[in-house]
Amino acid sequence: MQRSGADKAGSAVRYVVLIGGALLFLLPFYLLVRNGLSTEQDITSPSWKFFPSSLQWGNIGELFRDPAVPMARSLVNSLVIAVVQTAGVLVISGLAGYGLARIPFRYANAVFYFIVATLLIPAAVTFVPSFVLVSTLGWVSTLRGLIVPGLFQAFATFLFRQYFLGFPRELEEAAQLDGTGYWGTFWRVVVPNSMGFIAAIGTITFIGSWNAFLWPLVIAPDQNAWTVQIALSTFLTAQTINLPQLFIAAAIAILPLVVIFIFLQRWIVQGVERSGISE
Amino acid sequence: MSQVTARLRGRYDRNLWFAIFVGPFVLGLLVFVYIPIVWSVVLSFFDAHNTVTPTKFVGLGNYLDMLRDAAFRSSLITFVVFAAFIVPTTFVLSLGLALLVNRARFAKTFFRSVFFLPTASSYVVAALIWKLSIFNGVRFGLANTVLGWFAIEPVAWLSVTQPPWYWLVIVSARMWLQAGFYMILFLAGLQRISPSLYEAAAIDGATGWRVLRYITLPQLRATSTAVLLLLLINAFQAFDEFYNLLSSAGGYPPYARPPLVYLYYAALGQGQDFGHGSAGAVILTLLIAIVALAQGRIVGLGRRDD
Amino acid sequence: MGSGFSRRRLLGVGGGLAAMAVAGCGSNTGRDTGSGGSSSGSKPALAQWYHQYGEAGTQQAVQRYAKEYPDATVTVQWSPGDYDKKTAAALLTDNGPDVFEYGNGPSIDMIKGGQVVDLSDLLDDTTKADFTPSLMARMTYQDKLYAIPQVTDMQLLVYRKSLLEQAGVQPPQTVDELLAAAKKLTTDKVKGLFVGNDGGVGILGGPALWSAGLDYLTEDNQFGFDDPAAVESLRKLRELFTSKTLLLGAPTDWSDPSAFTQGLTAMQFTGLWTFPAIQKALPDDFGVLPWPKLNASTGKPSVPVGAYGSTVSAKSKNVDAAKKFVKWLWVDQADKQLDFAQSYGFHIPARKSLAEKADKLKSGPAADAVKFVNENGHAQTPILWSPKSGTAYSDALNRIIKSGSDPATEIKAVKAVVEAELKRITG
Repeated sequence: MQRSGADKAGSAVRYVVLIGGALLFLLPFYLLVRNGLSTEQDITSPSWKFFPSSLQWGNIGELFRDPAVPMARSLVNSLVIAVVQTAGVLVISGLAGYGLARIPFRYANAVFYFIVATLLIPAAVTFVPSFVLVSTLGWVSTLRGLIVPGLFQAFATFLFRQYFLGFPRELEEAAQLDGTGYWGTFWRVVVPNSMGFIAAIGTITFIGSWNAFLWPLVIAPDQNAWTVQIALSTFLTAQTINLPQLFIAAAIAILPLVVIFIFLQRWIVQGVERSGISE
Repeated sequence: MSQVTARLRGRYDRNLWFAIFVGPFVLGLLVFVYIPIVWSVVLSFFDAHNTVTPTKFVGLGNYLDMLRDAAFRSSLITFVVFAAFIVPTTFVLSLGLALLVNRARFAKTFFRSVFFLPTASSYVVAALIWKLSIFNGVRFGLANTVLGWFAIEPVAWLSVTQPPWYWLVIVSARMWLQAGFYMILFLAGLQRISPSLYEAAAIDGATGWRVLRYITLPQLRATSTAVLLLLLINAFQAFDEFYNLLSSAGGYPPYARPPLVYLYYAALGQGQDFGHGSAGAVILTLLIAIVALAQGRIVGLGRRDD
Repeated sequence: MGSGFSRRRLLGVGGGLAAMAVAGCGSNTGRDTGSGGSSSGSKPALAQWYHQYGEAGTQQAVQRYAKEYPDATVTVQWSPGDYDKKTAAALLTDNGPDVFEYGNGPSIDMIKGGQVVDLSDLLDDTTKADFTPSLMARMTYQDKLYAIPQVTDMQLLVYRKSLLEQAGVQPPQTVDELLAAAKKLTTDKVKGLFVGNDGGVGILGGPALWSAGLDYLTEDNQFGFDDPAAVESLRKLRELFTSKTLLLGAPTDWSDPSAFTQGLTAMQFTGLWTFPAIQKALPDDFGVLPWPKLNASTGKPSVPVGAYGSTVSAKSKNVDAAKKFVKWLWVDQADKQLDFAQSYGFHIPARKSLAEKADKLKSGPAADAVKFVNENGHAQTPILWSPKSGTAYSDALNRIIKSGSDPATEIKAVKAVVEAELKRITG
């Protein structure tokens, strides 16, 4: 088909808009790196500098050496929390989703409603009740308190159930003919054939966990239990702000997820599509 | 094996296996979601300063206090204002991005990735960049540098309430973070539209806006509804960027205080007032449950056989 | 986030703001996360809490002091984030500190709630007389002393001499002169004055009253500023805010010298503790002033003065050991007190005998600052000024300064809250 001149012009305009938009969306990342690798003088200079006069890689070392900023500790906390929470959610919700989808049980409907009812209430809104419970357990400022309440995600269970409902039964039946039970079928047949979906839910959970703010803020006031988000937030308004240090810290905090986004984008996109709309 | 146990375990031990698969999750949900909520409802009827086992029953007193509290009501208004800004703008932006990316002939994946990338950032990091680098009130802030090129005086974006420039900061930060996420949803919706519809339209000579108006948008109705409701529910839960952009050593200013920020200060602020805090949480929970129920009605979430 | 240091709040509108800014909450532990543990050998274990001092080295210093104490294992917890709130919440639990510092001593609610212990017997009469009397009075309630003052903090105006000379401006002596000076000093690169990113809501509440010849409470503990002069004075703050001469939205706040040293502002209301940093960045190019009086006929210049006081929690399992430690560090160890006062940020030792030895405070702007403390010093807030009163006043300031509310109406509203609070506390 011949493309008309108007069509070509339209296409050109679209690309101009796309490129302009892309630059705007990338701008904050650029600022993060620019400020993080600058000296304070470069950042506060009266005339805008697009690039620091010299790249201050030393800022990174300084950040980790500064005794007032528990950067390493909070990165480790965030990593432990995100990894354990992701693994926990996958196992707990995966099992539950499969059970709901495949194991006949007289009261399965009631159980299902018991679960979806909680979907009506986003976790963020119930932080006061959760704080009451978790502080009563004595879990304030502990990894337990940060991790355990986040392990039971009704939405993940719901998504797993929907997914397993559509899982090809033939695969499972073949295994069951060999005398394999639910447990064996799940781990040996269903899980290996669902890695794409598991990766999608896993990446989404990991991102949510790494970026969580309100719950860690409420439950982990102690510096030793800070996640990297809490550390950043605290120093965002602390008495002495070291601008380059704060920016390089933020860049480091965001780096793992950017890497995940670049390499696992396929799964994340799938996860977003699934979690955004329930079909 | 006794008959009772046998029955409990069910045919082929199905009941037992159901319990093994679903039990841990249900138990966790019971302990970490249901018990707190019930406990909180109980607390909301008591005078519970600094205690979670109160003895002084106050009936609906805490609820009345909350509803009478001008700050609580203004937090709901703040949410309405915020939603009025963020929902339409993000909707239009993410739809626009999706349409542009969807029609891109080359570098499609690249553009999709770029617009989606901000989703990797946390609100804390975004607030940090927005507050200290883009919208700080001094001459070396990026926004003020740009204004400077046009000889406009620096604006103290987050410090002034007349005009309320802080909304620009808050809304633009959230848009940057969220637009890519919703763009992905719209892209998925666009890909589900059958090409034959477009071909038919082309035969009829329809182009540009008319195709968008009469084919694309109607076909995206389900996606659009879901996006709108997600935007609304997420706006209701806004906390991170407000807190990180506006709170300071002097506390939180008496403006731009959305419901969760209000609740945070009310429940865990001046001492730990779990009575009032719980009452506030219950009110907000009811409000959001109503919205979510409407969502369930509309997109069919929670039906067993969908 | 309710930033880490209560000192700037402390020197702000008193406890009210402190109560508003919230970060951490809930039961924080000092003991079970630190190395102190529940017990280590035969020595008692003590948890000691500090807020985050911004000046480099302070944290290491207090840890060093704690380590040197022979009779107990002291674990220091250093708290960025909202220290006042965090501490107040922790005192309600069993995981609070044994020893902690608190702005101007424990709050009236802590004292009345029996959360802190009487420290009167740590000082004999001669030692007691050695401490700055106004600080001792501020930490005493019904003849019982509840905290030992650590160091005196104060805040004041700093200005760039060179910029004032260039603009042909004399150091301002009245609020009107200050406004005029700020105007003349403002260029497209530099703002005239910096009083915090909130336009002074946090720190000018006290000076605005004192400069009008008033105070938070009268001497007989009645509401102190239902007065036309207060209306006038608060209106000036609004005028300042709208004058376009005020630096707003700087990355750092008033308690940090960066805005001043980076040349963003020609004058800044800040703390004495910033002097080492300012001296380093702008050697001999800065002078100091108290907050000026309202006008030629009304009021006096003023500077807010306060002190962190070291306090012992009533919930401590080792109250006696905790008291002994407080006495050791803040009464007996004069060299440590002097080190703490002047080796990191600048503070004035809380004891006269030590203040005389503080060489770094003997010359230049620091010496002027010490003079202001003696001549124009006001305790930040009276002990009966409860957190709730403070919140009411700062909310009012916010509305007056930022939104242009009528000061007279706002003062009436504050008065109602304060009178109810006074009745609750003393009644």
